[in-house]
Amino acid sequence: MKGRYQDENLKWIPALIALVILLPFMLKGMTFSYKYYLYILNTIGIYIILTVGLDILSGYTGLISLGHAGFMAIGAYSSAILVDQVGLPFGLSLIISPIIAGLFGFIIGFPALRISGMYLGLTTMGFGFIIRRLIIALREWTQGSGGLVVSSPELFGFTIKGDWANYFLVWTFALLTIVASRRMMKSKIGRAFMAIRDSEQAAQASGINLAQYKMMSFFISGVFAGLAGVLMAHTNHFISTDHFDNMLSIYFIIMVLVGGMGSIYGAVLGTIFIVFLENLIVPVVEGWLHAMFQNEAGDIESLIFGLIMFLFIIFQPTGLYGMWLKIRIYWKLFPFNPKQKFT
Amino acid sequence: MSHLKVNNVTMRFSGVVALNDISLNVNKGEIFSLIGPNGSGKSTLFNCINGFNRPQKGGISYNGSDLCKTASHDVINTGISRTFQNIQNVPYMTVLDNVLLGAHSRIDAKFTLSRWLLKSYREKEEALALEIMDFLGIANYESKYMSGQPYGIQKLVEIARALVPKPQLILMDEPAAGMNDQETHEIAKIISEIRDHLDITVMVVEHDMNLVMSISDRIGVLDSGKLITVGLPDEVKAHPKVLEAYLGEGFNA
Amino acid sequence: MKRITTIIMFVMTLGLIGCSGPAGSPGITENEILIGNVQDLSGPMKELGKIIPAGSNLYFDHVNNNGGVHGRKIRMLVEDAQYNPQKTVVAVKKLIEKEQVFCLYNVIGTSPAEAVRPLLAESEIPLIAPATQSGTMSDMSRPAAEYIFHTDTGYDIQSGILIDYAKGMDKNAVIGVIYQDDDYGENVIKGVEESEAEMGITVQKESFQRGATDFAGQVMNLMKGGCTHVIIAGIVKEPIIIMKTASAMGFSPQFMGISPTMDHRVALAAGPAGEGFIAANFAQLWNSDYDVPKLYRELCERAEVPEAMMGMYHYYGFSTAIVLVEGLKRAGKNPTRKKLIRGMETFNNWDGAGTQPLTYNRNDHAGAESVILVQILDGVQTTITDWLK
Repeated sequence: MKGRYQDENLKWIPALIALVILLPFMLKGMTFSYKYYLYILNTIGIYIILTVGLDILSGYTGLISLGHAGFMAIGAYSSAILVDQVGLPFGLSLIISPIIAGLFGFIIGFPALRISGMYLGLTTMGFGFIIRRLIIALREWTQGSGGLVVSSPELFGFTIKGDWANYFLVWTFALLTIVASRRMMKSKIGRAFMAIRDSEQAAQASGINLAQYKMMSFFISGVFAGLAGVLMAHTNHFISTDHFDNMLSIYFIIMVLVGGMGSIYGAVLGTIFIVFLENLIVPVVEGWLHAMFQNEAGDIESLIFGLIMFLFIIFQPTGLYGMWLKIRIYWKLFPFNPKQKFT
Repeated sequence: MSHLKVNNVTMRFSGVVALNDISLNVNKGEIFSLIGPNGSGKSTLFNCINGFNRPQKGGISYNGSDLCKTASHDVINTGISRTFQNIQNVPYMTVLDNVLLGAHSRIDAKFTLSRWLLKSYREKEEALALEIMDFLGIANYESKYMSGQPYGIQKLVEIARALVPKPQLILMDEPAAGMNDQETHEIAKIISEIRDHLDITVMVVEHDMNLVMSISDRIGVLDSGKLITVGLPDEVKAHPKVLEAYLGEGFNA
Repeated sequence: MKRITTIIMFVMTLGLIGCSGPAGSPGITENEILIGNVQDLSGPMKELGKIIPAGSNLYFDHVNNNGGVHGRKIRMLVEDAQYNPQKTVVAVKKLIEKEQVFCLYNVIGTSPAEAVRPLLAESEIPLIAPATQSGTMSDMSRPAAEYIFHTDTGYDIQSGILIDYAKGMDKNAVIGVIYQDDDYGENVIKGVEESEAEMGITVQKESFQRGATDFAGQVMNLMKGGCTHVIIAGIVKEPIIIMKTASAMGFSPQFMGISPTMDHRVALAAGPAGEGFIAANFAQLWNSDYDVPKLYRELCERAEVPEAMMGMYHYYGFSTAIVLVEGLKRAGKNPTRKKLIRGMETFNNWDGAGTQPLTYNRNDHAGAESVILVQILDGVQTTITDWLK
């Protein structure tokens, strides 16, 4: 048998798991304000679940979505209503709510059969608006735009509360998402998605039903976004329509783009990079600029994000993950002329 | 014994007649070549067989199934696979994955979960592709990414992808386009082997006359959407209309 | 394997060392009290995000120059959250855990302030004067309500008072309301619906989306409905455009506004169309002759505050700062977060902040339930009533 073990990239997973488990302890040892950093890590974990799902749709299948915050909202509100008003156990809602979001994805998949590119982007963006309007209209359950208080999750008789418990809950699912997605993208399904992205004719000639797989991509992406929404609702304990504005959707696309479209690790790296940038780097830069310009430096954050996206699209279209691959190949070939093209 | 039947097919694109009342048969186990100048409708005929285009008139049947009513992604299930004129591969996937893409219809969705969890299932899946890659001599490229591979390899990967589903008929759209003599010679050898060793009927669209004449059992000639003649290589070579329409004076085989 | 075990042990040890927290109350040092504020410095309300804390700092500087609170100077950290609830949570988390502030003050926006409730309960940290007039903010049945001290009169109460006042002006008044379709408008509508049930009237309701700049359709509908009194639940730009639109259409009802419209820029920008506009206000008018407004103008003059900045929002920062300082005074010489809550709960009809009299106790953190009405007369905002309930 000559077949090399295909998922060799999964060898990183044990290291990743060890890192995820040890990181909070390390932070605790290093700084008093570890709870703040723990919270940032929770946010990263939740966003990773979503951006990996978004990458499956936009990066792998080539269907752009500018309305992913909408799917997140559906997951979040579904779970809040199912657990707190209907009385379902959290464990069950954890399965049902993402599926509800996935079904919405399925519905949005219909127009995707006919349109693509910018038109699909605008359609999905419209979807984001519609979802927010829908939530406001269903005020009987959602309390309109006033927002909804959400209970702490209960799993196997334990109440998950506080930054530590949230951290392990969120990251369990984040890791599962990463592993499952990588496996999926290395299977029949992932190959079909990529074939649809790069050559619809080859896909069809190979027996791939375009409609079926495009809808499936939307469904899977919706499920992950819904899962992220569920976790966000139950770890933050409060959700409102303002949480899921369209800027957030664009923010997600930036994460995937910066990380490198069409690679799971890219989405992960991009998410970490952007959240760190937003919370740890931007405030420092803002501080300098404010000191320099006497408090009159306007909206630095959007400027920095815009600039980063611009630079990545022009100079590093394969994103952070592509950059890492290049570096790795460089060192592998180091003593010899490492001019070989990255393949 | 007739295998693929094309009956009175007419295909128009907003006024332009791409195929005009074409009828031909491809027999089981033969290598059938279609030749003709650019724009004579060879690829259009392939697209009609493949379900990408729907002819306005006439019918195409294969082993009893009506291809004009088969969705293009179901054509593979009737036993027809194809390669494309301009390479249609997935650049950011490994060579192995590109070949496995062709095995899509052979991989049962029922075992999806087992495949995600168990290495042995994945290896079974890979074995499908490696068998063909060995046959074509590209097995050592398996873990390389498609983008950046030489043109010849990309062509072979495309052929491998079309062979993995174990078709009975393979449509090859200009397999030797853009290749040098050495590579063309090899493609000719591969096409013969596909028929001889894998028992697959081959239908080829090709410009390279040496290739066509050396491998074909029968040849059909298209010109401006019309089928001029069908016959053995020697007959076609001698046909006055063919010489006039396509071969011109430069051809001296 | 051995190496991994060693690393794990090392990290665990690090974790254990880190267990001991800082002594005493966070944010309190020998000569400083650190408080945290979350504003919108780069989002949809960035104008207010600079003006409100500037007003607060005006008063804090005044206090600090006069010896501070029990010898400690007040320092305020302002975080930017772009009026976004999720970013506000991150900002508050940062203020509590990283900056270790003593208490929170003035977090802006209804859903942002609502979103930080769980954090208040978790860290047992008080939030003084959240910058929102949502009535639900001081609802004692909501989670973490015991940590929130609301200084503003709820929108629902305000709309009720305005309807009462309209009916008092004219028994046969036909009332319409034009509201922003979000949590703010929702709160206003809640008050309107309560009045409808109470008085047996129907109020015509027209909504607009946040950020809208064209209100012709809504104004037309109100005109068709024959409204004599129209309540505007917008911020600054909305009443200006609405009144100008109505004036152009020849529609001239008595316009009234919820407190965010009580800005002197409305009088300046609306011109003759804004004449007679009545707005609710839960503080004393900044250019009136009461004690606190006088002090405010005096300090503004001394600090050379630019004219463009002065106004109700600047004054809002100023007056809520007075409330916070009074609470800190009442928390005693060695303040803790608990003592601050106790101190706040001793407010009894206290009117030293240039707002309406404030009362807090264990069962009521609403503080304020009345408004004063301000009318634009000859282009100048003039107080026309006493505190109405």
